[in-house]
Amino acid sequence: MAAILTARHVTKSYDTGRAGRVVAVQDLSLDIEEGEFVCLFGASGCGKSTMLGLFAGFIQPTSGEVALRNVPITGIEPRCGVVFQSYALFPWRTVRGNVEFGLKMQGVGRAARRVRAQEFIDLVKLTGFEDRYPIELSGGMQQRVTLARILAASPEVLLMDEPFAALDAMTRQVMQEELLRIHAGNHKTTVFITHSLDEALILSDRIVVMSARPGRIKAVVTNPLSRPRHVAMQITPDYLALKASLWQLVEAELAHQDETSQFVPSPAD
Amino acid sequence: MTAAVAAPARLTLRMTMNTWLLAINFAAVAMVLGLWWLATGRGWIAPIFLPSPGDVLDAARIKIANGNLLTDVLVSARRVFLGFALAATVSIPLGVVMGVWRPAKAIMDPFVSLLRPLPSITWIPLSILWLGIGELQKVAIVFMGSWIYILLYTYESTRRVDPLLLRAARNLGAGDGAVMWEVILPSALPGIISGLKVTLAISWSCVLTAEMIAAQNGLGALIWQAKDWGNLPLVLVGMLCISLTVLLADWLALRLERLLLPWERGRRG
Ligand SMILES: Nc1ncnc2c1ncn2[C@@H]1O[C@H](COP(=O)(O)OP(=O)(O)OP(=O)(O)O)[C@@H](O)[C@H]1O
Ligand SMILES: [Mg+2]
Repeated sequence: MAAILTARHVTKSYDTGRAGRVVAVQDLSLDIEEGEFVCLFGASGCGKSTMLGLFAGFIQPTSGEVALRNVPITGIEPRCGVVFQSYALFPWRTVRGNVEFGLKMQGVGRAARRVRAQEFIDLVKLTGFEDRYPIELSGGMQQRVTLARILAASPEVLLMDEPFAALDAMTRQVMQEELLRIHAGNHKTTVFITHSLDEALILSDRIVVMSARPGRIKAVVTNPLSRPRHVAMQITPDYLALKASLWQLVEAELAHQDETSQFVPSPAD
Repeated sequence: MTAAVAAPARLTLRMTMNTWLLAINFAAVAMVLGLWWLATGRGWIAPIFLPSPGDVLDAARIKIANGNLLTDVLVSARRVFLGFALAATVSIPLGVVMGVWRPAKAIMDPFVSLLRPLPSITWIPLSILWLGIGELQKVAIVFMGSWIYILLYTYESTRRVDPLLLRAARNLGAGDGAVMWEVILPSALPGIISGLKVTLAISWSCVLTAEMIAAQNGLGALIWQAKDWGNLPLVLVGMLCISLTVLLADWLALRLERLLLPWERGRRG
């Protein structure tokens, strides 16, 4: 299988004025295969969102290169569709209007748009809520709309930044099951950020464990759990053993974390 | 079960609460009217300082019967409407451009800073010199008193667009034009409309000042002329009329707002 999304020696640092330069990601290289579901896993502030922003083209690397099908990503890339943690729905558009947005931008006609949008509204089980405004929906439902909106635009890669972090445990499990079902149906290449090991284990083909500050790849773990998966498998002994061994890796990393290494003084200081 | 029982109970409670507040409204007005009636009827206040409610009613009845009152209301309303509409037509597009294109802001800034402290009344000498004392001059005064507020509200609302929504739109394939029409304008619209509502009241006070200083008709002229004739009841009729007209205009604006911003309805509950 060929890599669809690649990062080559990517470094991203932010200039924070008086605080100096923050190196968010350092010399990170990663290949993501077509159809693969990869979880980026790591502690808060280790540069996961930064990586996602680089893949989406929201920000540019300080050095190195990110590429989609070997073509460097230099601007906002609609072929890498983003699901934001805070939904980012258009409050003035109804559920249907939000889901139709990407199709409208692609120039799809009104009637075709409506049919396509309905497909995805049904897929995320929001049938009957087409004419509601986002503000009238619960958090879980809003996140379903975001998912339907991005799926309807049919990007080549899905980038999801802790999409379920704001949801309660029960809704999160339901959404994880939904995502498993949708991925089993379309095998869309997905990069999914999480800092829940359970979420990473249940969803991913591979888990990329990132080290904190500056963000680097600590380990890449191929998920041995077989598909189809269900949330219920989280209480099997095999699963728990796997989780325990992964935890050791993470704990070792946390122990090595050196708080002072995050800031490199800028020349201005 | 408990919720089903509790909900209607709370509803009744809220209804009785509302009825109560309404009753207090009426009682307060009745009390002030009663005091007024008493104070003027018993001769505690001389009629040359405050006419009795009966006198005011009589004055209103005469004015309404000969059709002058409605004419004055309509004449003033027309001036407000023309000046306000002109200001909105100029300032809304200008404010949006200032919001998205910094050179436009740089061009406008000095003029806005210099002109903003000037109340519209200070434009009266120049406007009479340039435009005479006809309709155009009244409209010009309303325009001069309104355009900067509409401009500033529009600019602020345009600036306050959520950058996440801009990213989301571009990620879904929106170009510059679509970002403007599909994101910036709809998200600025509530702010622009509330700016228009505030400005409408200001426009009314502009027209009244202009009419008091130089006009044959309109509510401002009505009050000023009544004062010259020593007809105090008519002055009060004019003031009451202004209150009612502005209230009506506010109410119409609120209806229009509800119609234009269906997604904001949920927010207001
Ligand atoms: N725009 C920015 N300007 C300055 N520093 C930034 C900016 N964005 C991120 N950083 C810094 O870069 C580092 C990595 O941030 P990033 O948001 O990628 O972390 P994260 O892994 O997504 O964390 P979390 O799990 O909390 O979302 C942090 O130290 C953060 O403070
Ligand atoms: Mg993040």
